[in-house]
Amino acid sequence: MEQALELVGLTKVFGEERAVDELSLSVPAGSFFGVLGPNGAGKTTSLSMAVGLLRPDGGTARIFGVDVWRESPKAKALVGVLPDGLGMPERLTGREVLTYLGLLRGLPEDEVGRRAAELLEVLELDHEDDKQVIGYSTGMRKKLGLAVALLHAPRLLVLDEPFEAVDPVSAATIRTILHRFIAGGGSVVMSSHVMALVEQLCDRIAVVADGKVVAAGTVSEVQAGATLEDAFVSLVGASTRGADGLTWLSH
Amino acid sequence: MALALTYNTSHTLVRMRLAALRHALRDQLRLTWIVTGGFVGLVLAAGTIWVAAKGDNDVLVVVLAVWMLGWVVGPLFAGGGDETLRPEYFTMMPLSPRTLSTGLLVAALAGVAPVISLIALLSLAIAGANVAAALIAIPALLLQLFCFILASRLAVAVYGVLLQVRAGAVIAALVNAFILAFTAQGWALIVAFVSTDVQGTLAKAARIAPSGWGLVAVEAAGRGDWLRVLAALAGLVVLGVLMLVAWSALLVRRTTASRAGGKVGRPLSGTDPRSGAAAKELRSWTRDLLYGHKAVFAISYGLFFCMMPLALGWKAMLPWAGPAAVVMAAAMSANLYGADGTALWSTLMTPGANGPDVRARQRAFLLVFGPLTLVITLLLTWWSGYASAWPLVLSVLPALLGGAAGLVVASSVYAAVPTTDAHKRSGNPLNSGENEGETMGIVYVMLVLVASTCAPALIVALNAGWWGVPIGVLSGVLAWWYFGRLAIRRLDRRGPELLTLLRHGRSPAEQARKTAGLDALPKWKRTLAGLCLGFGAIPLFPQAVVPAIFKLTGNDDTRSWFLALYQTGPWQWIVIVLMAALGLSMYAFGGLTYYRARKRAPGASVAAAAG
Repeated sequence: MEQALELVGLTKVFGEERAVDELSLSVPAGSFFGVLGPNGAGKTTSLSMAVGLLRPDGGTARIFGVDVWRESPKAKALVGVLPDGLGMPERLTGREVLTYLGLLRGLPEDEVGRRAAELLEVLELDHEDDKQVIGYSTGMRKKLGLAVALLHAPRLLVLDEPFEAVDPVSAATIRTILHRFIAGGGSVVMSSHVMALVEQLCDRIAVVADGKVVAAGTVSEVQAGATLEDAFVSLVGASTRGADGLTWLSH
Repeated sequence: MALALTYNTSHTLVRMRLAALRHALRDQLRLTWIVTGGFVGLVLAAGTIWVAAKGDNDVLVVVLAVWMLGWVVGPLFAGGGDETLRPEYFTMMPLSPRTLSTGLLVAALAGVAPVISLIALLSLAIAGANVAAALIAIPALLLQLFCFILASRLAVAVYGVLLQVRAGAVIAALVNAFILAFTAQGWALIVAFVSTDVQGTLAKAARIAPSGWGLVAVEAAGRGDWLRVLAALAGLVVLGVLMLVAWSALLVRRTTASRAGGKVGRPLSGTDPRSGAAAKELRSWTRDLLYGHKAVFAISYGLFFCMMPLALGWKAMLPWAGPAAVVMAAAMSANLYGADGTALWSTLMTPGANGPDVRARQRAFLLVFGPLTLVITLLLTWWSGYASAWPLVLSVLPALLGGAAGLVVASSVYAAVPTTDAHKRSGNPLNSGENEGETMGIVYVMLVLVASTCAPALIVALNAGWWGVPIGVLSGVLAWWYFGRLAIRRLDRRGPELLTLLRHGRSPAEQARKTAGLDALPKWKRTLAGLCLGFGAIPLFPQAVVPAIFKLTGNDDTRSWFLALYQTGPWQWIVIVLMAALGLSMYAFGGLTYYRARKRAPGASVAAAAG
């Protein structure tokens, strides 16, 4: 089976800390793949290395068999990325961002215009046409980021926390778009904290903790009979707290 | 109650600041900047005290005015002053604006710069003629210090408001350019003033300015003129309170106003990758007030710098306004990628976008500054009436424009300084990050580098007249092409590293690696290399390049501190050559020492292999 994304032994060391430690992962083509993990587990670092935004200290990343670091341009043409917490060309409007990035990707002008207009309309960003990105809310930034990722019709989408700060209506829209993308033969890799969302959307998941994959497979394989949330908590070796102490909080 | 709260707030804020300072001191790079800055400051403070000890109060009062000017203007060039404690951090605290601003003011005292200013202000006590005057000097110098710091904070806040509207950004740029040009051209004016009574007028003006009130009080105390003492001190108190009130009001505005961009026009159209990138870049120049501010600043600096000597009827500098503006513009634009922050990811993820992006940045720079500086050069050279200047400026200008357009992108890629992403920035538009020292350093290096790109054209023009023009155009095109290509290659190879740097800043580990080789050097060698790099500009530029230009343009009436011009006949050239050699070898020694140390650094080979 063809692999949409294949990570082998990815490693990143920041100072003394091994943020990502020999992480390996296979995402079969056509799957909707969820990456779960507690805060600081190395999800964003791994995904950045997987798409070419952060150079790994070791290991390889391949998108549809194309090495992300050896054949960078070829790999980048295949993937659309929504990074978490990165900036945008702030002084442009949403439409301009899409237009110029589309032109930079070599799309013809009328095609770029058509795609940008459609994306903005579907994501409900079109009535903010005179607003520069710097004035966007966090949710609007996410939606624009998704539009950038979709613009060149990639075969693989890598989305870092796509639903964070997005309102419920837009979230439903995004879910629909992603389902259509999968149905049309695309593959999606998405990181998230929201268990319910992952359970609902993804067919395969990986749980990352301390820079390693601690479990991977279909959702039911990872759940192993329990709820996904319980499975997650036991996998990352944490216990939920908050029942004891904090007595000074009651009035 | 309110007083106790203010005290507690101030106390906590001071602790926060000192904690931040402690961390800064552990960081090798920032420690170097702090120590260098502190050293220069101490030398200046010692100079101020020396002036006071000499008993020349007329000079002292002018020097004090310069200190205050430094406090007001300094933050403009050092990224909006100290922003360790941003008012935004405390907006959710149940504190009144007055309490917060008082606390922030007190915290502002806990730093290196205020301590140095305090030392400089000890000159007031030394200037005191008797015991009474020395006693008055104590409250006077404390009040004076408060006024310096308040004026600085207030200035930053006022610029902040101005920079939010287009007209304000332009005004702020004009004022800054005027002040900076004034300090740079001081030598010319002082030379003229020494022989006239303008010096007396200057001293009189400096006594009327708030920076002189402390000294006025001390002098009055020496004479026993207690009414005047009281008036001067009360004046400082009232001024301080007024500035505090104004500053609190502006802080409230800063933390509550929105920062959304204004209305925009129709998108600039583009049809292919090249025009897409170019349109994106031009939009930034026309919409981002900070970009606009830099452009107006650079142009008006060039104009002021070269037009100020007109006050003495000296027109020889007029033709050079255009070239000066180009050099300043390049220095102000040396961190294009740093200024755009992590938005770099969108170019990085687009295959083949690095080339168009770099070339677009160059083209935008040339479009913004090229035609304007050309017109300025043509008009002012014609006005100056120096026919001999025509081949010189017309050779130098294209060389500088090309050199600047090349070096701007090269330094933006090779020496990017991380800044805070635009949408996460504080309410202070001058502050774009936390690393003022590094930004300042690059501004200076760029001034030197860009200026030196006109050397071939200038040399040819001096010897062969109009033949300099084709050489200038050729060297400009070459520099534009070559440095641009360098930047593109670097982005292609090390783009992800640049993004990591812009995203996370320099990690302590990387910094350790960067300085590991240096740490292995003997301390004297490290210090010497640092001093050579820091002060190599003095023999090279003011002592060699500037007097050479003076001699070549036939300007014999200004000697100032240019050693060579005090010699006679061929000795002038010998001194110029010796000074140039000294400056260049200082740079060479310092640069080589750092380069070798870096090559020996343990992590260097790993980093190179990864690249």
